[in-house]
Parts: sequence; structure tokens; C-alpha cells
Amino acid sequence: MTIEQRLRTYILDSFLFTDDESVLDNDDSFLEKGIIDSTGIMEMVSFLEQEFGIQVDDEDMVPENLDSVSRIIAFVSRKRALV
Amino acid sequence: MATTLLDLLASSLRRRPHAEALVCGQRRVSYLALWNASMTVVACLRRRGLQPGDRVALLLEPSPEYVAGYYGVLAAGGMAVALNPLAKEWELAAWLRHSGARWLLCAGRTRQCEALAGECPQLDMTELGLWRRADTALSRPPTTAEPDAPAAIIYTSGTTGAPKGVTLSHRNLVSNVTAVMRYLQLTPADRVMHVLPFCYSYGNSVLHTHLAAGATVIIEPGLMYPHRLLERMAEERATGFSGVPATYALLLARTRLDAYPLDSLRYLTQAGGPMPLRDILLVREQLPWAAFYVMYGQTEATARLSYLPPALLLEKPGSVGVAIADTELAVCDPDGRRLPPGEEGQVCARGPGVMLGYWQDPEATRQVLHNGWLWTGDLGHMDEQGFLYLHGRASELIKVGAYRINPAEIEEVLLAMEGVAEVAAAGVPDPLLGQAIKVWLVPQPQARLQAQQVLAYCRRHLPIYKLPRQVVFTDALPRTASGKLRRHALMEAGTAGLED
Repeated sequence: MTIEQRLRTYILDSFLFTDDESVLDNDDSFLEKGIIDSTGIMEMVSFLEQEFGIQVDDEDMVPENLDSVSRIIAFVSRKRALV
Repeated sequence: MATTLLDLLASSLRRRPHAEALVCGQRRVSYLALWNASMTVVACLRRRGLQPGDRVALLLEPSPEYVAGYYGVLAAGGMAVALNPLAKEWELAAWLRHSGARWLLCAGRTRQCEALAGECPQLDMTELGLWRRADTALSRPPTTAEPDAPAAIIYTSGTTGAPKGVTLSHRNLVSNVTAVMRYLQLTPADRVMHVLPFCYSYGNSVLHTHLAAGATVIIEPGLMYPHRLLERMAEERATGFSGVPATYALLLARTRLDAYPLDSLRYLTQAGGPMPLRDILLVREQLPWAAFYVMYGQTEATARLSYLPPALLLEKPGSVGVAIADTELAVCDPDGRRLPPGEEGQVCARGPGVMLGYWQDPEATRQVLHNGWLWTGDLGHMDEQGFLYLHGRASELIKVGAYRINPAEIEEVLLAMEGVAEVAAAGVPDPLLGQAIKVWLVPQPQARLQAQQVLAYCRRHLPIYKLPRQVVFTDALPRTASGKLRRHALMEAGTAGLED
């Protein structure tokens, strides 16, 4: 599965409790749409670290990297390119 | 002598009209600008026919508009009813109907507002856009109020049928604000980083105490990105920070506080349930120059009932301290007799912060107010020196992060789901949030329910902070011989669960 598929499955399953792909747009802001709250972000960061073998540092924890599916895909790809 | 919060704001205004009252993102609002914006709200409400005692609801995120709206409502002689913008429309409609609010102050005609307009046709909605007349001369004086007149309603947990609205007088608010200002030794030089919801008692208290002190309130929209928050605190040279245990747990989870230049921090406050001593010690180790205040209180007591002087943190570990100024605390047996030190009973409080009662609910009020004493529902004991220790709650409210949730709210929603015969909700321990919501569900015969479906249903009908973390199915719920749910038995079973 691609990063996008793994990520979407995780978010749909863990935060939206559905397999209906239509409820989540890749550009939806997690904060504005109320998809994930502050504890959810912590869980998601742990998921990213385990699932994609990356380390998320303090300074990575910003909305520019984490606030939508598209942003996370770009972030994970960048991180993996550095490994 | 100040009678209302507005008098306290006016005194900060007189002392330093051009000082920063609020910082919100790039916006910096002086006391004069805040005052003028509040007076704009007064003029608007008076023009629309507001009478003293009328309820005005605020549906606004923490923002300068919220603050101007709140003080404007008080200055116009109305009662402020602050609602949580995260709540679902049906919850908001229940609070609006129960409070009898005729006005709603909002940020714009959002979808949420349109839905409410349909549910509550009597409601007059006003969008706040107040900052065009900033820094002009003072407007005409506000309405004067009697100290014991009701000033605000704070909706705590309650079911749709019986929302619980804590009704606070001007005296309640002023006395509590004054007591907190005194023990935190707030001055106009203070700058507090405010991440708590304004619509509940702790956030309400942090806001008004700092404005009464002539200090600066830096409004931040929450804790999604702890790193950003700490950077903002450093940039803004914050001197104070307030959180619940989950706030500190989130900050400590992935970050070292001493990695940021936070040398300006003078005090940290914690309320909203017991914080693990380990976390308190970690905060102190990483920010040793900041005084750490453990505090205890209740919405029914405006906000604050006790605090532990920071110097005694290690001497009295686990204690929530001594009563705040002008307030008396006692630990009583069920007949109302005071118990000697060391014995467990219910915590009772008396003082100028104790609420007038629950809005239009004399029966619920009678259950907690007796002869001027508030029965808090918290269990605890007092030591020989009068320091209070809490043991837990006699009531069944679930404490999730900064929120208090009545399990009946969750049960009411799930009972309406197809295939559900019986349901019970209770709080179970959670390392980050203190408690998390767990649901035990008895399906109807032949119903084929799955946990994921139940969670999806909750997601549609409950706000994000009321979502259960776990759903388990069972054949029957534990009940007493008379059929009453034994919720404590569920809580004790905790995460053991039956079958996931």
C-alpha cells in the first residue's frame, strides 16, 4: 500500500470510525474540520513513527507538516528521503 | 469597592488605558479598545431592547470578540451564557431553550448558527465586528448592578431534558476573582498564556482574574502543537500558564520545557482533577524558577475553593491546600456533621463564591445547597493543619481532560441508536487525559452491532471530547436488586472489559 492508502485507512479507522472514503478529503484540515484533537495528534505521531520508521522531532510538530493527509504525505516522504 | 467584573475592568482601564489587555495571534488589544468594544455591545443590545436580567448567549471561540461580548452583556445589565462552540447543535439548542436566551452573539452566520436559527426561531443573532472604533473616547456609563443579581450561567454536564446551568452572581464572580488575584499575586506586569476554553469555570477564572489585575491575556487556540505553544510563550515573554493535568501531560509527552527560553515564567497553575506527582515534579525540575500552584474548585463555587502554597508542594504532596480568602471548607458525614482530621467524608464549602443555584432547577439546587453550604460531591479528608486531600468523587461525572461529562449524556445518545437495548457509560483511567469514556452496551436480540459502528454513530451525534474510547458488548449490565445501574462496579471492572 502507498503512504496515502496506509494513512487514510488509519485516519478513517481510528478517528472517523468508518471505511467510507468519501468523508475524508486529502486537503481537509484536521483542526478546522474537528477530525483530530490534541491527544489524537499525539497518537497519530506515534503511528507515523512506527508505521513509516521516521522520527518526528519537536520542531516537526507543526500544522504545516501534520494538519492534513496531503501535508503528512509530503512530510513523511521528505523525512524518508533524509534517512 | 468593586461590585461587578466590569468595575474591576474599569479600574484596570483607568490605571493603564493603553496597556495590552489581549493578544490573539497578530492582534493586540488595549484596555481602552477592549472597553470601547464592550460599550459597542452595550449600545447594540440596548438598541435591540435588552432588559436587565435577560440572558445573552455567546457562541464564540476564545477571542477579543468573546471578551468584549462578555463584558458588554454584563454592562448592559444582561446575563452572560457562554456556550462551547465545539458542542453539537442539539446540545446548543437545549442550552438556549433552557436559559431562555433571546440573543446570541456569534462570529458570523456559520452553518452551526443557521441550524440554531431553525431550532430557536426566537433568537436574535448578532455578529460581532467591533474593532472599527478602537481607542476613541469612553462611551456613556454602563448599567449598575446589584451585587447579588445573577450575572452569568455556566452550563455544566446535564442531559438534554435537564441541562444544569450554574447561576453566578456579580458577587460570586468578583469575590472569586479577587481571592485568586491575591494568592497568585498578580500585577499589571503579568502576561498569562491562556489555552483553556473560556466558556467553563477555570478558563473563565483565568481570563477575568488577569484582566482585573490589569495584566495581559495571550489567547492561544489550544494544544494541538505543543512546540508552537512553547515558542509563543517564549516570544510573548509569558509570566503565567494555567492547565489541567492533561495539558501538562501533553506538554511533557514529547517536549522538554527547558529547551525553550521560558525564564519569564513566574507561576504555573493546575486545577481540574488530580495531577500525578511525577508530572508535577517533572515540571518543577524543568522550570524550577516558576511557582507551581495546585488548586481545587468547582463551577458551583464560581471556580476556586482552595490552593496549595507552592512552597508546601513537597511538604504536603497530594493535598489541594487550604481554603481561599473568605471561604470555609469542611469535611462532613452524610448528616452534615463535621468530621475530625483524617476521617473521610464529603467536602463542603461556604463563602461568597458559592453559586446562587442551578438555573430554574430548585430541586437540583436543593440537592447541593444546604444552609449556605455547597455539597461538592467530592470525597476527602482534612489533616491536622486544615489541608484538604481529595479521594475521589461521590458523583459519577467523568473527567476527560478539561471537561466534565455526565455519563447520562452519552447513554441518552446511544439509546437512540438502532439495535441498542441498554447502555452504560463510565470513566476508566487514562494515562494522558486522567479518565477516558468507556461504554458497555447490550444489543437488542438479533441486532448485529460492531464497536466501529457504535463509535461512528457517536462521532455523528457527540462532540469530539465526548467520544468514547472503548466500546464493549455484554449480555447484561450490573444492577442493584431494585434495577438501578451499579456504575461503580463498571468503573472498578475498568479496562478489564468483557468482550471487545
